[in-house]
Amino acid sequence: MTLPDISVDLAPNNPRELRLANPVIPASGCFGYGQEYAHLIDVQRLGAFVSKGITPKPRSGNPMPRIVETPAGMLNAIGLQNPGLRDFIKKYPPIWNDWTVPVIVNISAETVEDFVEMAATLDEVPGIAGLEVNVSCPNVNAGGFCFGWDADMTAEVTRAVRAVTTLPVIVKLSPGAIDIVEIAQAAEEAGADAVSLINTLVGMTIDTRRRKPILANQTGGLSGPAVKPVAVRMVYQVAQGVSIPIVGLGGITSLNDALEFFMAGASAIQVGTAMFVQPTIAMDLIDQLPVWLQQQGCESLADIIGSANPRFRAKLAVESAESAAV
Amino acid sequence: MPPKLFQSEILAIEPELGDASRVTISVPAGMANEVRPGQFVHILPRGEGTLDPLLRRPFSVMRPRPENQSVDILVRPFGRGSGWIARQKIGASLDVLGLLGNGFSINPSARNLLMVAGGVGAAPLVMLSEEAVEKGLNVTFLMGGATAAALLSPSQLPESVEYVVATDDGSQGHHGFVTDLAPNYVPWADQVFTCGPEMMFRSLRRALEPHRLHRKPPIQVSMERSMACGIGACLGCVVETKKGMSASCVDGPVYDLDLIDW
Repeated sequence: MTLPDISVDLAPNNPRELRLANPVIPASGCFGYGQEYAHLIDVQRLGAFVSKGITPKPRSGNPMPRIVETPAGMLNAIGLQNPGLRDFIKKYPPIWNDWTVPVIVNISAETVEDFVEMAATLDEVPGIAGLEVNVSCPNVNAGGFCFGWDADMTAEVTRAVRAVTTLPVIVKLSPGAIDIVEIAQAAEEAGADAVSLINTLVGMTIDTRRRKPILANQTGGLSGPAVKPVAVRMVYQVAQGVSIPIVGLGGITSLNDALEFFMAGASAIQVGTAMFVQPTIAMDLIDQLPVWLQQQGCESLADIIGSANPRFRAKLAVESAESAAV
Repeated sequence: MPPKLFQSEILAIEPELGDASRVTISVPAGMANEVRPGQFVHILPRGEGTLDPLLRRPFSVMRPRPENQSVDILVRPFGRGSGWIARQKIGASLDVLGLLGNGFSINPSARNLLMVAGGVGAAPLVMLSEEAVEKGLNVTFLMGGATAAALLSPSQLPESVEYVVATDDGSQGHHGFVTDLAPNYVPWADQVFTCGPEMMFRSLRRALEPHRLHRKPPIQVSMERSMACGIGACLGCVVETKKGMSASCVDGPVYDLDLIDW
């Protein structure tokens, strides 16, 4: 008996598509550029991976300490250390072009113009399957207010990126927004192929001996199991407000965690912090998911997407949904 | 040998450095032969059914034991993670990622090696000393600790090693910091190796500055940064070097002290 189909298309409205053999994706910043993990796991078996966030110019990142462990989680303030767009293009996509795993490139910028420059440049680069737009950055032209906390600014970035690339575009949402559903809808209306959520939550830990924040940057992004309930709730809400695919992430460390996200309405999931701790976690999920679906009598992953919400009607392009109906 | 994920068994636990333990853990076949001084293992500090503490903890190898496929590490219970590991019993299972990191390197022309160790930072320098003595090199091992009880027992070092200690409370050896002792040995030493708290590196560099000519002898330092992935993905453990940011888990933990941008 064949196992249930777990393949997904994260860009059903885009002629270039973003078809993944499975819905498991290491998250940006947690998988380097892919090679770091190549001796520990079979990278090519992943549904896709998201590369470390890149910026128009090289960045050396924040001073140390950059990370601190918190209860069932961690804070990070890496500061987008990366070689910058030009060196990035020379170094990594040529390697990925020989790989079968689709690679999604995460882009960050502080102005709409910089987002446009990156998206336009990457559109032509072989070895890239899609873009993930990190709108959790400060907009320097809006007094440093985060793009992703404002629906109009999110729409503006999305529309501008959409206009200069035919690549599938995933907008990565910030949990700092007052109404994340409104932001997701703005991204959808502006042409996003999918949304991913959640990015980290801003947090702080204080060293009581030194009476100062532990991180040199003072604040950092909270990730890991501690944030999972927040992430599941947000995916659940966004799933009721948009019809494009949702990529769910935030604290996934087990199959049961992943199932929560699927049932909340995610078509695919990303694994972030858990990759640091258990590099095999993505492989484990890829192996376990179809077995679980089969045990439950499901024909495909589509059978459970959004199933926790009685009003939710999955319109998502899980490929197997169509083939099962034929 | 590229890093591997493996289940390890605790084979022995002996008290060392006062409240710390020397823990012998099993490793996959061949690994104990390949480990270089300064390399480390990354251990998950929790059992099944819990997600806290979340992150792995790095431990430098203190001694490889190829004869029974194991290595020794030094564990001091100063945090939640190391505390958990220190509470495990013989026979307990550990989830380990290793070997990681670059390791120390002895210059081919070096004859006299000076080790400067602080606390559990002694671990990789014990291994380096054993290797050096086996090669017929001269080793002086300076060890600092809070009290006499917190020092490395001399039995952990080869007999031919000159072992000199300093304690904060003066209960044994020099009354003061281990870095006070180091300048006396600079004219003799061809190379200096150090591991311990970061403050010690800074004071070592300050103490040796007037005694070194043209950055000789060279000083290699093993940086003990808090670390998440251990494989160069998260960039949480970087060291600011004169050549830019360097991930201490893969490009380190051992650096030329003069290349570090402090």
